[in-house]
Amino acid sequence: MDAVVSTAKLNSNEIFDLMKQFITEVIGEEFVEEMDITMESSFTKDLEMDSIEIVSFSEKIKAHFGEQIDFTGWLSNMDLDQLINLNLGTIVNYIEECQ
Amino acid sequence: MPVIEVNNRGVHIQELNKGAAETVLLVHGMFSNLSIYYFNIAPILAKHFHVVMYDLKSHGLSERIENGYDLNSMTDDLLSLMERLGIDKVHLAGYSFGGLITLKMAARFPDKIGKLAVIEAPDPNDDKTRDIIDDYSREFLEHYVTNFTDTTKVKMGKRQMERNHRMYEYLFHETSIKSDMILEKEFFSAAEISSIQQDTLLLYGTQSNCLGAGKKLKNKIRGAALLEVNGDHNIPIQEPVSIGNIIEAFFNNG
Repeated sequence: MDAVVSTAKLNSNEIFDLMKQFITEVIGEEFVEEMDITMESSFTKDLEMDSIEIVSFSEKIKAHFGEQIDFTGWLSNMDLDQLINLNLGTIVNYIEECQ
Repeated sequence: MPVIEVNNRGVHIQELNKGAAETVLLVHGMFSNLSIYYFNIAPILAKHFHVVMYDLKSHGLSERIENGYDLNSMTDDLLSLMERLGIDKVHLAGYSFGGLITLKMAARFPDKIGKLAVIEAPDPNDDKTRDIIDDYSREFLEHYVTNFTDTTKVKMGKRQMERNHRMYEYLFHETSIKSDMILEKEFFSAAEISSIQQDTLLLYGTQSNCLGAGKKLKNKIRGAALLEVNGDHNIPIQEPVSIGNIIEAFFNNG
């Protein structure tokens, strides 16, 4: 369940696996199976996530980590180029630092 | 994922700063979804207000529905949503087709609406009504391209192409959205527009082909202010921080 706020600190591999799980839940297993998701995968170019899917992804992060991570606030400070080039590794690092 | 039941239909909503005294409700445009507000405009408004965003029927993550895209039905939906959330009165902001919904809302339910911010609402009686409807699809595509292309023009991938294609196919061929909109073409001439009493801010892009509609509304709504923002019809995407700050100041002042 992603509605449970986790208190245990996760390492980067665990965060990566969790992000991969969220992405799978948002875009569907059949699409994820065709992709090689890595730390370098970009949200828009590689994973082809559109803005409403990124909303769903953000909500999953919020629900899981609660107040300790202001993911939407962090995204809203980015300009368009940064958003387009945003990759999974950058998100994993951000979450790891925030914990 | 907050999809709530409103009149037995699934409606996707997002809320920020639930504890605040006053509520701002944000209405997106045709072929778009609440993400147009979620990342920039809503967080700015949430500094002072409880913010509610929702996906219109058949848009974003809300349930698909075949009928009821006329402004009466769309405002019935919005009123039902407010009742479902237990909100009696809101400041209202709407973009494009969402702007038309907010105008209709202010005219039909004046006691429920505080201030009104209308962003780029088109005149449904433009000579080229059909073109306007086609523009709505371009607006969506432009939004998409803006978010998914960079200087090297990355092409839309297969999955997103299919998703978009399915949405267009559904809305154009399986719902009443086009015919319902054409029925609204006299909306700007209707007495109800002139009856709007709310403090109204009209926000239009300096280069927008809808700017004339904004001027028309300024003449019809008593005391309405028209503010031009640098950009075209896509100002919420082009200037999200400016739009957020302008609306926040407008709702927060007095």
